Parts: sequence; C-alpha cells; structure tokens
Amino acid sequence: MVGTFTPSQELARVIDELELVRKTIAARKIQGWGAIVLGATGLIIGSLLNSAVFAIIGVCMALVGIILLLLLGNTSGSYQSRYKQEIVSAALSHIDPSLTISPQSGIREAEFEASQLFATDPDRYSTEDLVRGKAGQTTFYFAEVHAEYKTETPTKNGTRTEWHDIFKGIIFAADFNKNFNSTTIVRPKDLTSSIGAWFKKNIYSFDDSNVVELESDYFRKNFITYSNDQVEARYILTPALMQRIEELNERSAYCISLSFIQSTVYIAFPLVHNYFEPPIFKTLLRENLLADDLNILSFMHGIVQELDLNTRIWTKG
Amino acid sequence: MLIVGIIAIAVLLFGIGFYNSLINKKNQVTNAFSAIDVMLKKRFDLIPNLVEVVKQYTQYEGDTLTKITELRGKALGATASEADRLAADQQIGTAVKGLMVSVEQYPDLKANQNFAQLQRTWTESEEQIAAARRNYNASVTTYNNGVMMFPGNMFAGMLGYQTMPVLESTPEERENVSAKALFNS
Repeated sequence: MVGTFTPSQELARVIDELELVRKTIAARKIQGWGAIVLGATGLIIGSLLNSAVFAIIGVCMALVGIILLLLLGNTSGSYQSRYKQEIVSAALSHIDPSLTISPQSGIREAEFEASQLFATDPDRYSTEDLVRGKAGQTTFYFAEVHAEYKTETPTKNGTRTEWHDIFKGIIFAADFNKNFNSTTIVRPKDLTSSIGAWFKKNIYSFDDSNVVELESDYFRKNFITYSNDQVEARYILTPALMQRIEELNERSAYCISLSFIQSTVYIAFPLVHNYFEPPIFKTLLRENLLADDLNILSFMHGIVQELDLNTRIWTKG
Repeated sequence: MLIVGIIAIAVLLFGIGFYNSLINKKNQVTNAFSAIDVMLKKRFDLIPNLVEVVKQYTQYEGDTLTKITELRGKALGATASEADRLAADQQIGTAVKGLMVSVEQYPDLKANQNFAQLQRTWTESEEQIAAARRNYNASVTTYNNGVMMFPGNMFAGMLGYQTMPVLESTPEERENVSAKALFNS
C-alpha cells in the first residue's frame, strides 16, 4: 500500500536507544511474570504438601514478581510515549508532513455520541492516538476508540456485570465538502435493523419516514440509511459518493458505518488490531517495524481522495 | 375463543396499518413533488443575478441571455403546469451549460467573485434538483409497490389508487459528474 519507510540517521539513533529500553522492559516482564508463576507453583506445592515453607517462599516470589512489574510502569509509559512521539510521528511525516499525532488525545465521548454512528451510548469509553491532518482544503482527524456497554444480570450472590463492545477500531472525521443541515446515518444492515426498516416502510404506525431507500443495490444489500431529510440525504449521497463508499467498504475488513452531521462526515472502521503500539517482545530493528501502522495511516489519509472531499465546487468552498 | 379474538384484533390492526401506510405513501409522493418545485424555484431565482453579471462582461451572449430569461418567465408563469416547469428547467440547464462554456472567452467574467459564487450556487442547485428528483422517484416506487403488492392492492382498489410513472433521468443525472465538468469548463 505504501512504499518502504527508511528512517533518517537521527531516527535510527532513537530506534537504537529505544531498542535497549525495549530489551530491558522485555527482560523485566519475563522476570516479573516468571516470579509470579514460580510463586504460584510454590503456593500450590505448599498446599499440596502441607508445607508452610513452600507457601511462604511462593508468596514472597509472587510479591517480588508483582513489584518488578509495578516498577516497570514508568519505563513502559515513557517507552510507549517516545515510540509514538518520535517513531510514529516520523512515519506520519513520511506520508504527509501535515500529519501530527497526540498519543494521549482522542475523540471525546460526547463527540462519539453526537456522531450517532452507533445506536447505543457507551458505559465505558477509551480513546487514544489522535492523528490530525489536512489534505488539500479538507481537514481530517482520526483516533482509536473502544466503546462498550454493560449488562447486569441478577444472580444469587448479587449482580453479574458483563461488558460488550459497541465499537473497537478507528473513528475517522473530515470536513464534508457540501453544506447540509440534516443528519444522515449509514449503518451496516443486520437482521434487527432490516425488520425495523420493513415495519417503518410498510406499517403506518411504525412509520417515521427516516429510512432512506437509495437506488444502489450494494447500499440496499449492505447498509440501512436513516435521515431526517430525504432530499438532503440524496444530495449528500449522490450516485458517485455511494460508489466511492462501496469501494471504501470493500477495502475494509469489516463493514463500515458513516454519519453526516454538522458539516462533518464520520466513518467508523471496526478493527481488531491495536495500532501505533510499540512492540515489547519483537525487535525494533526490523525493516517491517511500521508496516501495519503505515498501511493504516496511508489508508486513512487516502479517504479524502477516495471520497473526493477536495472537490469544492459548491457554495461551501 | 380468546385466541380467535386476539388474531382478529391483530389482523384488524395490521389492516389499519397497511391502509394508512398506503395513504401515507401517496402523500409522500405529493410532498416529494413539492420538494422538486421548491428546488426549481430556488434555481429560477438565481437567473436574474446570473443574467445581470454576465451582461456586464460579455458582448455576444445576448441571444442566450434573452432565451434564458424568457424560459424563466415561462416556467414561473401563472399558467405553467408542473410538466412545463420541468421542461423549462431542462432547457434552462442546457442553455446555462452552453453559457458557462463560452465564459472561457471572458477572463474578466471568469475572475469575477460574484460570478464564481453564482456558478457554485448554480452547481449546488443542480445537484439539489437531482436529489429531489431521485427522492420523488423513490417515493413513487414505494407507492407503486404498495399499490401493486398484497395486501396494499386490496385497499388501492377501494381507494381508486393507480400506479404512477417515475421521472425519467435527465442527461445530467445519467452522468452524475456533469456538475463538476460544468464548473471546470
């Protein structure tokens, strides 16, 4: 997807430095977890043999392991931060000098909810690695987001709480090239939404006229489109844009969701992999170190072109 | 007995739902056509400004401008039917497209901010009309399906509802990038 990225001399020096830190972290992690495993084994043997000595040694080893891992906290944090600020930043500049990353920032929960990409509001929300950029006249940003909701089931001993994913992946937002006042949402089609749409269309009492029946067969097969303005939804979703969304969706591993709201287009890309994270047990001194990150960055950067958001022939300019 | 009663009530409720849905679909077709009309009027309102700006910078486009003005008058006339307005819009669209091509010969006009803004608004109105026409056709298709499919066809017969024709797509809609080409010409 993107050409190989050759680090500059300065960056190569940083990578060498971080490689030493990585080795230390990896060694400490192995020692820490090793001590915990040995400690647990000691405890089990102690209880099986009824030996207090084994049990005490086991507890001590486990404690040493936990302390070793806790002491790693700061080193790990600084390793992660330097990797993102220096190595991932360089990869961003390689794609486009306008791209910047803020590892601690993301897409705020209020904005995630306001985007209406998903029908459920999260009970637990985390976001990181906000990347901002500008392609032509179009400003855009994206970040990793993990949104979950919880279910509580009463049990004999109290309540059992279970967490379920609403979304895990990257949310992309860009300034849309047309003015609009309505809200239009394109969500993947599933059985529940299909049944809901059928009732809205065919039974008057369920009909709030929000479902938009678009001409594209691909859209009808894969998505359900909702809007509070049927004409404006079609003004946004022209046959050309629907074709481009189809191509974008085909290039994504999982079905995407889109929303057009307050002059912005939001796109949710569900992903399993966590991007921009430094490796711990794999060396930094390998050629394909940033291959996955570069691919996803290049993919996100290409969306502006792919959706033709730089065509500014309407009054928005 | 109770089960039969529940089934009868369910059938009755579904029947009312389908009946109302058909009426709703017919109303949506009417609303969709009104939306086209609103967009057409919005576009026709741009013409006086467009004509004025072009007149200031060009010497040889008088015939085209007169034709566009006449077509606008015809479309907005008290006796103009919906079909007349749609036909006039198509002719205006073709005439303005020709005018935009000849703008190449007038660099001062091309550089004029007002004209550039009018061009953008014109392009926007073209896509809005295309969207309104697509919305109308979608409403007609939904209505026609309701009229022709069971159980809607039973109520359609009672109400005297018949299928409606969809609007044929204009050349602009067939090549959906025409607005961009027009602007870049």
